[in-house]
Amino acid sequence: MSKTLADILQEKGIPISFEYGGKSPDEMVSREIQKEPTPRAKKMRDLYFDTLSSATVEFPYWYTRKYEELEHEIPVVRRAEALKCAFSHLTPTIWPGELLVMGKTRYYRGSFPLPWLSEGYFMAREDELYQSALAKGGASADEVTKWGAGGGNVTEDFGNVVSIAGKFGIRNEEVPALLRLARSWVGKSVDDLSNKYERLVPEYEIKENIMRSVICMFDSGYTLPQGREVTNYYYPLQYGFGGIIDIAKEKIDEVAGEADGDGIIGMDRLYFYQAVITVLEGIQNWILNYAKEARRLAGLTDDAAQKKEYEDIAERLEWISTNPPRTFREALQLTYTTHIAILNEDAISGLSPGRLGQVLYPFWEQDMEAGRITEAETLELLECHRVKFTCIDCFASAGVVGGVLSGNTFNNLSMGGLTKDGQPATNGLEMLILEAAMTCETPQPTLSVLYDDKLPEDFLLKAVECNKTGTGYPAWMNFRGGVEFIHDQYQDEGMTLEEARAWAIGGCLETSPGAWHELTLNGKKYSIPGGAGQPTSVGVHFISNPKVLECVLFNGHDHRTGIQVYPKHNKKLETYEELWEVYKEYYELTVDALCKCNNIQHDIWRKQNMGVFHSMLKPDCLDKGHHIGNLGYRYNATYNVESCGTANMVNSLAALKKLVYDEEKYTLDEMKEAILANFGFKTAEEIGSYSLGLQEKKAGGEEFDEIHSDCLMAPKHGNADPYVDAILKDYEDWFCKMCRDYYSLYARPLYACQISVSTHGPQGASTLATPDGRLAGTTFADASMSAYPGTDRNGPYALFSSATCWDHSQSQNSQMNLKVHPSAIKGLEGSRKLLDLTRSYMRNGGFHIQYNIVDSKVLKDAQKHPENYRDLLVRVAGFTQYWVELGKHIQDEVISRTEYEAI
Amino acid sequence: MAKEVEGLKHSDCRNFIPVDVAKGICGARNEKVLIDTPVCEKFATLPKCKNCACFTENGDEGFGVCKADDKMEPWTFAELHAVTCEMYRDK
Repeated sequence: MSKTLADILQEKGIPISFEYGGKSPDEMVSREIQKEPTPRAKKMRDLYFDTLSSATVEFPYWYTRKYEELEHEIPVVRRAEALKCAFSHLTPTIWPGELLVMGKTRYYRGSFPLPWLSEGYFMAREDELYQSALAKGGASADEVTKWGAGGGNVTEDFGNVVSIAGKFGIRNEEVPALLRLARSWVGKSVDDLSNKYERLVPEYEIKENIMRSVICMFDSGYTLPQGREVTNYYYPLQYGFGGIIDIAKEKIDEVAGEADGDGIIGMDRLYFYQAVITVLEGIQNWILNYAKEARRLAGLTDDAAQKKEYEDIAERLEWISTNPPRTFREALQLTYTTHIAILNEDAISGLSPGRLGQVLYPFWEQDMEAGRITEAETLELLECHRVKFTCIDCFASAGVVGGVLSGNTFNNLSMGGLTKDGQPATNGLEMLILEAAMTCETPQPTLSVLYDDKLPEDFLLKAVECNKTGTGYPAWMNFRGGVEFIHDQYQDEGMTLEEARAWAIGGCLETSPGAWHELTLNGKKYSIPGGAGQPTSVGVHFISNPKVLECVLFNGHDHRTGIQVYPKHNKKLETYEELWEVYKEYYELTVDALCKCNNIQHDIWRKQNMGVFHSMLKPDCLDKGHHIGNLGYRYNATYNVESCGTANMVNSLAALKKLVYDEEKYTLDEMKEAILANFGFKTAEEIGSYSLGLQEKKAGGEEFDEIHSDCLMAPKHGNADPYVDAILKDYEDWFCKMCRDYYSLYARPLYACQISVSTHGPQGASTLATPDGRLAGTTFADASMSAYPGTDRNGPYALFSSATCWDHSQSQNSQMNLKVHPSAIKGLEGSRKLLDLTRSYMRNGGFHIQYNIVDSKVLKDAQKHPENYRDLLVRVAGFTQYWVELGKHIQDEVISRTEYEAI
Repeated sequence: MAKEVEGLKHSDCRNFIPVDVAKGICGARNEKVLIDTPVCEKFATLPKCKNCACFTENGDEGFGVCKADDKMEPWTFAELHAVTCEMYRDK
């Protein structure tokens, strides 16, 4: 049997350990905090556990039918009419026991393809899908029992169900219609049309090579054109949909035929307001169809309590279809309905409800005072809200949904922070949101605390208690760091310090601009925050830092694919400085090529597929009369450059600097030879594991032992070692500044975004061994500030020191994940320790930290016996996901993260 | 009591509450059912294009045209739900 790297290191006494601060107990230790949901929420969550991700073509059929009818209509109105038709024809389903109702489709965990964005995936698999659809089978109980493994993902065909994009099931009787719809968008989709024009970019060939070699993970213009942003519920809450229609009608009277000094798009305002009215009529129909369904069900049941619930649901829906909400229950239903409507309008991942506890507080406060609701009833509603959010699925291609998102939808709910006038913004409703997140553990909405020293201790300790459930939420964000970044980024667009305080997290941990609005409820005025900026899921996503370095070492050539990705630099790389210069040149070439092509994709998107409903929700579209594509939003400098694999890149530069340039122990050619030989190890794919410690030595691979040992022992990020910290600082100072040299289609500078989501899996899989001793195909370090597993040997405070050697407010974010054994933070004393640890990182200027409070032995057991762990949640990189729905690359990486036995 | 009716599935029944592509809840019996299993005597027809007087089948893959819009005659398919279709008329 081949030896693993962990065995070899142990034999050699090389101190790389996947535990720090002692040894974990021999037995498996479960999480300290474990609570139960209310029976109603438990029933709804149990149904979720037994539900498959399911797609249907109902929405795309009606959208396409109307769109084709209106060939000669103005684009924004044509799109609005298509959306209205699609919303109006969705089949409503209400599941027994629901308090909050409505969904993306008729399925509990439903979604649908949007071929007007991209149809290529279906066309490429047309024959295969037809064959699957034709091979009809009788579904049997045996097949049903296979569903457990992999959670709700439909990874293969069964019975009369066809698997698409590796995750979603579709009934085979709908497949011919799906393919017919896809065919009708060939040459017209955002994907096809933008590709036609992207080809005219001189750097197009380089961009394509970058994509093929997985240096970049995905194009955002036609995959997920919106998202990683904070939405805004103010207008529906204050005016209701009927009131917004009235506003749009008044605006039409003002602007029809008037350019008002804007000879380019002044006249477009008329069409935008007309489109707003049209879309809202569709959404009203959609809500009323659910109300009708609730009335129908009320008429069928003999159960008096259930009948009353259906009638209450119908009454709520009928009211909010037109009017502003009067109660917390109506407001919660309205915000949820609005959220789902946005998600049906476009392919979106990371649509955050923002500081929802602060937005809904006016309704809750007045209901509590009037005795219309109790805390127990609120908790039950919030638990149901969690289940409904967890049912949200996002339909995109396999590479995006699996490789980037791990099936997650990142509806991040922010709490805490400060008010407009700088006071703690927490409230009693946020305490209940935390409680519901403990009693009803689900991935959505994930939670973030906007940490500020001013926040009350009881709120912070409650958040720590929530961390101790092991779900990974809430993540901790530095509120003042965020204010600094936001204020600096958007002051050219009029951002004030006061308004900077309205920020919240969009997606995993994307700092997103917000605005305050004055909401009046029963004569009392409240200042509520909400999103006011464009998506931040857009721009250059994600660049594999270690892969760029690999191309530098191999003269622009990718050995995995055989592609000459970049023009040959033909330099000997005789000094570290020269190596670093070429690295920057290749990186800048990458950003340049991707940015130009991406701008074209988004330009096509805004011309053909602009958000209408989502646009009108955010300031200042309704005031200006312009949608997102015409710069209707208040803040538009949101395009970013996302990186991946920072720790491995920094560690690799440190190893090269020390071993090749400073000490001259090896030549660069010797290093390259060892890399190509994978330091004498088999490939990760060959052994089916993507964790460094489990890699197996090849027979005869010993000739690279010494160089590999030296690479592993070279200075590593996360140990407060000035040698490697200086490299990180140089990189960050350059990277954050460099991003601002590139401009989005909105003529605004880009900025740095440093999160990995799940890209460290596939991008690691497509990268050779790296000079830091990481082996080929293994997963990169997660996040951007986390240490590479097993290499942080000096404890958490040393890791924090390294991570904060640069100014985090120069970047939209940074990301730090820490895995802590449950026994390290037991009891109230343990909670205080964890809070102190968090405070320490925030006070040192760290932007983000999140914890996986879990015994690695549980994860290893879950990997062997997934059937026993359907409900196990883990934190990955900015999101919480069911263990069984994660790919193996990511599972291996989470297992191998350094586990802190003491803090 | 289950009954075999040629071509009928639970997803053709108005009492069926879909959960996913394989199963749902029978609203009449309040129990989980697989779509592709025999329906029972409480079966009630769900509005779908195939049950609509405006639908004319014209292909072997379930495709047809919707005659409700006699100018456009758009294509549609037999299994499309018509619960919310304002043009639906029982055959």
